[in-house]
Amino acid sequence: MVDTPFANAPLVPATNDAAPLLDVRGLSVSFGHGPAAVRLVDNVSFAVGAGERVALVGESGSGKSVTAQALMRLNPHMQVSGVVQIGGCNLVALSDKEMTAERGASIGMVFQDPMSSLDPLMTIGDQVAETLRLRGVSAAAARARALRVLDELRVDRAAERLAAYPHEFSGGMRQRVVIAMALIGEPKVLIADEPTTALDVRVQERVLDLLYSVSKERGLAVLLITHDMGIVAGFADRVMVMYAGRIIEQNDVEPLFASPRHPYTQGLLGAIPRIDQKREQLQSIPGAPPTPFTRPPGCHFNPRCAMAMEICRKDYPAMIETGSARVACHIHGGGHA
Amino acid sequence: MAARVETAAAPARRRLLPYFALHEWLVFLTVAFLVLMALVGPALAPSGIYRSNILNALAPPSAEHWFGTDDQGRDVLWRVVAGAQISLLSSILIVVLYSLIGVAVATAATLGPRWLDEVIMRGTDIGLALPGLVVALGFAAALGPSIQSGIIAMALTGWPMTARLLRTTMRQTMEQPFVDGARALGVSPARLMLTHVLPNSLDVLIVKWAGDINNTLLILASLSFIGVGAQPPSPEWGAMISAGRSTMSTAWWAVAAPGAAVAVTAIAFGFLGDILQARRDPSLRKR
Repeated sequence: MVDTPFANAPLVPATNDAAPLLDVRGLSVSFGHGPAAVRLVDNVSFAVGAGERVALVGESGSGKSVTAQALMRLNPHMQVSGVVQIGGCNLVALSDKEMTAERGASIGMVFQDPMSSLDPLMTIGDQVAETLRLRGVSAAAARARALRVLDELRVDRAAERLAAYPHEFSGGMRQRVVIAMALIGEPKVLIADEPTTALDVRVQERVLDLLYSVSKERGLAVLLITHDMGIVAGFADRVMVMYAGRIIEQNDVEPLFASPRHPYTQGLLGAIPRIDQKREQLQSIPGAPPTPFTRPPGCHFNPRCAMAMEICRKDYPAMIETGSARVACHIHGGGHA
Repeated sequence: MAARVETAAAPARRRLLPYFALHEWLVFLTVAFLVLMALVGPALAPSGIYRSNILNALAPPSAEHWFGTDDQGRDVLWRVVAGAQISLLSSILIVVLYSLIGVAVATAATLGPRWLDEVIMRGTDIGLALPGLVVALGFAAALGPSIQSGIIAMALTGWPMTARLLRTTMRQTMEQPFVDGARALGVSPARLMLTHVLPNSLDVLIVKWAGDINNTLLILASLSFIGVGAQPPSPEWGAMISAGRSTMSTAWWAVAAPGAAVAVTAIAFGFLGDILQARRDPSLRKR
């Protein structure tokens, strides 16, 4: 935990009741044209409030990283449709130039591999300050701000290390630098795409603690993308489970872990190894997730689902809301989407 | 050139002189000496080096003429010193000019739409398929025989290899996560190119530049030899070697001095490329 509070006042009060900071409605992402087009993310809707940490979990290829890239509009070959609303501004509708201005200012991103997400030829100070320099802040002021952010992120001896190069930093320190780069422009929303996958467990914990307190103090909306259920349990307020390009279940973190509703979520949680458990007791979900080219009709999970019914093979289930939970599964009633 | 070395190698922490090993200093001093020679050599040289003095032709090395005289009776050493300007500065100028063209072309191919990339790369294919010397010869002949037309011709024909190499490296650099990272911070495409992609792609060229200066030196000499480059009585090194060839068996010095100048220049610039490349990578810099 960070004991020094952030020097800047939070941009928005840290409550979950306010209108969501990030509001995503009907987001679809596809690649290619005409008959060769393939839809990687299909009609995804979710919201993240100020100071809220939401985890987006799923297997490799489920579309979670594609969702993150689509929110930032980083890949020019992606066709993105739907609405991504941040503070009254729909990112999907912006021109390329307007989007460039929004990146770093209203929405920031932290990438998976801190080893390669820093420019090896640029000093740490210059890289952290770059976002501010782009917005016309003077070199001295940007440097001072960079120093403050690095201090707040507990980078040791930050003042003398502004002139250091990335290779002189450890993995955990580099990831702090990457987070500092994302935060210095004071974005309202931070997307963290597997920010700790490349780090060892202790460093992982410290980096997540930092992100946690930053989000609390700044009222930052964090979308954490991961496949690590352990991280989710300790970090997130709310969890969204993605399968084959769609969100199939979302709930607050405790009820999701206590009583998962979707058979896929149940399988996913059953597949987490526990130290007090024999290896034979470890469950696995039979089969493999479909590729974007081979998604079955109806519910995309039906071929692997032990509880699949006739309707599951025909219609995609609608999202049903009960209490804090939202789940897209025919077992829980509702019609087709 | 010497100033470039200092900037490229300046370590992040301030110190009076950057740390260099002895052999690195030797290379810098040699290059600095060559460049100095190119700058002030012609001014220092006695005017006799442009006039023939047949009575004193092919005199062996002596206290008066350290490297003897050539078939026109001119002092070989002073001609080499004066020739540095034409040979070396022209070569450097040519490499700088066509590198600029190459960088611009490669950047356009990397930044632009796919069709532009295709057009540009097929263009460089054609450029690479044509023998450079012959095309330069054609250009130089069309512009009229002079050292200027040699420079223009080589600048216009030298860029395709640079463009091709750099474009490939830039494509690879574009795939690096830190490029996406910079874009996620709101860096515009133009700035992304200048501050992140280009600096991380230039390594390949820095090594090439040193070798290019040698090649250019030799091609320029060839053009002079054929008669479309430097015109007599210009003391261009390549032209001097060509002229001295016929008397090499009796007067080795007329060929040896300009030959040694070309060799020393080639080796010095070759090492300079190696040093620059190692210095550019911050993780290889000594502190």
